[in-house]
Amino acid sequence: MNNIIAFLLAILSSMLIDNVVLSRFYGICPFLGVSKKVKSSLGMGVAVVFVIVLATLICWPLYNYVLVPAGIPYLDTVAYILVIASLVQLVGLFIKKYSPSLYKSLGIYLPLITTNCAVLGVAQSNTDQGLTFVASLANALGTSLGFLMIIVVFSCIRVRLESANVPKAFKGLPIALITAALMAIAFMGLQGLFSGVNL
Amino acid sequence: MEILWAVLILLGVGLILGFGLAIAAKILHVKEDERIEEVAKRLPNYNCGSCGYAGCHDMAEAIVSGKEENLKKCKPGKEDLNFKPIIEYLNEHPNEDGSKIKAHL
Repeated sequence: MNNIIAFLLAILSSMLIDNVVLSRFYGICPFLGVSKKVKSSLGMGVAVVFVIVLATLICWPLYNYVLVPAGIPYLDTVAYILVIASLVQLVGLFIKKYSPSLYKSLGIYLPLITTNCAVLGVAQSNTDQGLTFVASLANALGTSLGFLMIIVVFSCIRVRLESANVPKAFKGLPIALITAALMAIAFMGLQGLFSGVNL
Repeated sequence: MEILWAVLILLGVGLILGFGLAIAAKILHVKEDERIEEVAKRLPNYNCGSCGYAGCHDMAEAIVSGKEENLKKCKPGKEDLNFKPIIEYLNEHPNEDGSKIKAHL
């Protein structure tokens, strides 16, 4: 029971406190690029969740059972990029087959998940910190769900901003960047949320 | 020796992933207008994106569906090498109802 609670708390803490977008500034490109419509941001977020979790499921065993025994752990980044690039291709094929409209609205940002630093960052930090498999999974789930949550919330705000009376110089991306900064400050308030909990 | 192992292991991982993708591409194949592929073949295929589309395949799709008529949007394309063959191909392969796909320079 304690293990499950620790697992859920680890997910929540990497989702809210160490949110990838707002506190580590990973994945800003799709965060700004695909957040104009709620539906496409949801699609992007789900695609990123899928890629990050699958990448962790493959990269962790690859590192610990192949690269380390073979004495070549320094090749981790190259191997991760290989895995992530193929996974993104796979996700692209899936979405093209089952949701052509989502494929259209994601456009160039879909193949760009390959270079989304959140994906590589999670895989890399999992093995760099020497996390166990379950802890890596919790980290991957938390980080990716955090990304999903933030991009959807942000797109909801941006839909409202479209019709808001914003000074002309701030229309479009500038006000979006200011909004993102305010969100980052708001999320800093969650620091120490679980400090009283013994893991 | 260690370098050889490094190369072999990465090669192995790449091969496994490549075969996996090839199988997935077969299973998840989407049937699309074959003219898109033919037009894409005649474009420069630099995938530079200067036409405003996500790549040459995307522009070919727009041309065949009639959304894009101005071939000159493709900046690296040459008139004799790319555009004329495309117009020729489109003239030879009209839509099912007989109407021609419009494209100009």
